[in-house]
Amino acid sequence: MSQAENTKHLTPQAGLVKLTMLISGAVFALMMLIGVVMRASQGGLLDMEPDLFYQLLTTHGAGMVGTAGLSGAGIMWYFLGRHVNLSAKMYIGFLALFLIGVVFILVSTFVGHFGGMWTFLYPLPAMSAGAWEPWAAAAFMLGYVFIGVGFLLYYLAVGVAIIKKYGGLGRALGWHVVFGKADVTEAPPPTVIAAAAVTIFNTLGIVVGAAVLVASLVNLLVPGFVVDALLAKNMIFFFGHVFINASIYMAVIAVYELIPEYTGKKWKSSKAFILAWSAILLFVIAVYPHHLLQDMVMPAWMLVMGQIISYLSGVPLLAVTAFSMCVYLHGSKFKWDLASSLLVLAVAGWSIGAIPAIIDGMVVVNQVMHNTQWVPGHFHIYLLIGEVGMSFGFMAWLVKSKSQKQSGMGAMDKLLLTSFAAGGAGFTLMFLVSGALSVPRRWAVHMPEWFLQDRLATIFALLVVFSILTQVIRYATGLSRNTAK
Amino acid sequence: MQTQVLMITIVFMLIMAIVFARVVRSVKSEKPLERIETKRRGMIWSMLIVGVIVSLGSLRQWPHSIPTAGSTKSEIVQVNATGAQWYWEIDTTEIPLGKTVVFNVKTTDVNHGFGVIDANGTLLAQTQAMPGYTNKVKYVFDKPGKYRVICMELCGTGHHSMQDEFTVIANTEELGG
Ligand code: HEM
Ligand SMILES: [Cu+2]
Ligand SMILES: [Cu+2]
Repeated sequence: MSQAENTKHLTPQAGLVKLTMLISGAVFALMMLIGVVMRASQGGLLDMEPDLFYQLLTTHGAGMVGTAGLSGAGIMWYFLGRHVNLSAKMYIGFLALFLIGVVFILVSTFVGHFGGMWTFLYPLPAMSAGAWEPWAAAAFMLGYVFIGVGFLLYYLAVGVAIIKKYGGLGRALGWHVVFGKADVTEAPPPTVIAAAAVTIFNTLGIVVGAAVLVASLVNLLVPGFVVDALLAKNMIFFFGHVFINASIYMAVIAVYELIPEYTGKKWKSSKAFILAWSAILLFVIAVYPHHLLQDMVMPAWMLVMGQIISYLSGVPLLAVTAFSMCVYLHGSKFKWDLASSLLVLAVAGWSIGAIPAIIDGMVVVNQVMHNTQWVPGHFHIYLLIGEVGMSFGFMAWLVKSKSQKQSGMGAMDKLLLTSFAAGGAGFTLMFLVSGALSVPRRWAVHMPEWFLQDRLATIFALLVVFSILTQVIRYATGLSRNTAK
Repeated sequence: MQTQVLMITIVFMLIMAIVFARVVRSVKSEKPLERIETKRRGMIWSMLIVGVIVSLGSLRQWPHSIPTAGSTKSEIVQVNATGAQWYWEIDTTEIPLGKTVVFNVKTTDVNHGFGVIDANGTLLAQTQAMPGYTNKVKYVFDKPGKYRVICMELCGTGHHSMQDEFTVIANTEELGG
């Protein structure tokens, strides 16, 4: 515990990160409310125009993915600050650009009625059949450009700081230990290894995303400028896949840094850990064709690669991150609190969510599951219970008061944890069941045969919203209490 | 297929959940863990071996292979389907039972998804409809009756209403030839 006290002051930009998490928490809660409204509307409980549904779905998708990225970035900045010197100015720049981007996106969807989804699949933004004006699509994509530039700034700051201290990204990844002669004690800490890997792959993802955004923007202005639709789709899914994965791989740093405070055992950069993160770096980049398994015009080898790497991605997750966490927890006899419970739940959720994802990554299964609600089924498991779980675990830890440290879980903590876990499990299971019943995803209007799952999911989702809203309020009051002290 | 997939998934997810529940209880454990790295290696190797078997088994027959010329050519029925915001244009409304049907799927505007569902609403096959490309998907219908075509890729605000149908007919004589 004393180690925790010592390290807390090592994070000079803690205030900025706390603000980031406050914004993230509030936006998560707001987007979840939109989610409940959509699910209720699918279940016939609300009467909503399809146009509005698609605008809300676009807002929810972009808002959630962006906020996952933001909260992950906050977590990584906080803990990386324990190991390297990070520039506060760059972080403020990142945050400002991010928020400008959010304004563009909100104007695009709510004023401009843009409903082309967070994936802005070419050429839909320019061909809405009258549902939205080109300027709305342009505003949406410009919003992405702002957010993308913000993140590039962020990774530039991270990359520079890491290289300064460790003498190169390869060394920060621990390659001198596994491929060179250096001893394993010379390996960088887990946070640095993870940050180096994410910096490389997400920079790549964002650059590719920027390229296809620019092409799509030009297409909006000059409709004669045509892009190859298959190439555009490859680029969009490369960007989308890498970006959303980066959010979890940044957030998991909270597990590496905080679980040791409970178990009293430092998370080690073993050779397995280093190799796992090099594999993650490779897999995150190469796995994206699993989004294109029903594009049979794709080269077959790419689809085969997509299937195989989907499966292999489970190895570093299960055999290294989850397995090590279990080993550290074993026999460590600490007292559970909300923060540690959420972090462990999140790793469990991530691992459990990988199962339906891997199964859907098989071409034969994908043929009947692609673009059904099976897909939101699996990604909501590892985003909602995983990424959001890690973020709220980190937030609970940030505002933990001294007295709480001794008392463990209060009745309210237990209630919040249970409603989050049970609500999340029920809500995502309903998506999986609907997917298995061939309910397509992204349909504003559902058939009455599908209402049962839709309505049950709405109830489960309300449990999640209750838990998350309460946690946000407690976090906000916790922050003001701490600053008052 | 879908039911088996759901069952298998739920079983694996339950096993995983139980493992984590036991780990949570192991926090209080007095017994130290033994041979941790051996166990980790065992886990990695078993995942790799299972992976090779499942990959080979599921990819040996390439799911997207489209039968072309050859002895079976006369057996293959070609159907052209073109998507547009927000309707399908399918060049036949009747499809023979028991023959290999190849759907040639195109679009005139944005991306769509060509999905075929049976009378129970079960998705049987799908492929993407992409500007500038022809995607093909094969299927052999083994039950006569009505089938519906739906859109499986978001294509604008009329996406969910983009539906059509065709009938699978037992007796090819009825098709007039
Ligand atoms: C109470 C919590 C939540 C509810 C009720 C909810 C609800 C929904 C619904 C109804 C859909 C559309 C499903 C369909 O395609 O038919 C959806 C899609 C989606 N959700 Fe959530 N969601 C929640 C939490 C989250 C979280 C935490 C994230 C990410 C961090 C997230 C990310 C997404 C994404 C990326 C999509 C896909 C959007 C698209 O199709 O373009 N959701 N959600
Ligand atoms: Cu369509
Ligand atoms: Cu559609």
